[in-house]
Amino acid sequence: MTDAEVTECLARGREGDEKAILELFHYMYPHVTKLVQANLPHRESAEDLVQQVCIKVMSHLQQFSGKVPFLHWVSRIAVNTCLNQIRHEKRRPEVRVADLSEDEASVVEHLAATPGELDASDHVASKELVDKLLGALRPADRLLMRLMYLEGHQIDEIAGITGWNRSLIKVRAYRARAQLRRRYNLLMKEIS
Amino acid sequence: MNSVDDQLNRLFRAVAQAQPDAVSVAPFGLETRVLAAWRSAQSVETGFWDMTLLVRGLILASLIMAVSFWPALTSSESTSNPFAEYLQLTDSTVPSDEAP
Repeated sequence: MTDAEVTECLARGREGDEKAILELFHYMYPHVTKLVQANLPHRESAEDLVQQVCIKVMSHLQQFSGKVPFLHWVSRIAVNTCLNQIRHEKRRPEVRVADLSEDEASVVEHLAATPGELDASDHVASKELVDKLLGALRPADRLLMRLMYLEGHQIDEIAGITGWNRSLIKVRAYRARAQLRRRYNLLMKEIS
Repeated sequence: MNSVDDQLNRLFRAVAQAQPDAVSVAPFGLETRVLAAWRSAQSVETGFWDMTLLVRGLILASLIMAVSFWPALTSSESTSNPFAEYLQLTDSTVPSDEAP
């Protein structure tokens, strides 16, 4: 859907056209799902949170001014909803080797021992390891690391999605990365 | 041994490759709930505009009242002083006492 089509749908929606609202919903749904799955709080189910975000977007549709692209506006609502949910959770403790499964520990060993990429068979364990490492970060830092390294977004795109400015993103990314490095170092020391 | 940054980058790359595809079909019932949310927001909006219309009407009515009462208020200003009112009264009653 192009920006012009989105604007047209919004205009039709403001006139009460339900079909236009449904078109907008189907347009934003995959985007919201992806964002929520990437920033899911531990206790929440993705489906519930996606529903919460979609309902929030539709309830506040009249407030969309059109200053930013529609999907950016939706992303900000999704990100803020996820962050608010994550904030209710207690900070997770430092990751220790004892918390790692056998596969996760072998991923760490493999990364330290060989320069090559990980095998596809290690992907599940790697994902769990990354979840544990990121889980110890602050919610906003966790979100940033996911957007930057797992989804491969550039700083400008992240600014659009989150509404944060470029310098804040850079500072936050630097600190979060340093924390990750420190935590990973501790893990490696424990293993060796 | 590889540097920590390199290891982290490889770890992230492996996870990024294994990211699940986003679900493109909304679950059954969500469409209805979303439409219901939009409809209720619409009705709240309409209610809001009704309220503003009412407020505007009240402001206009009070303005009309103020304008229509203005001449009456200004004319009574001259007699608003009780002492002046008393003098006016005595002035008007004295000649009538002396007349017979």
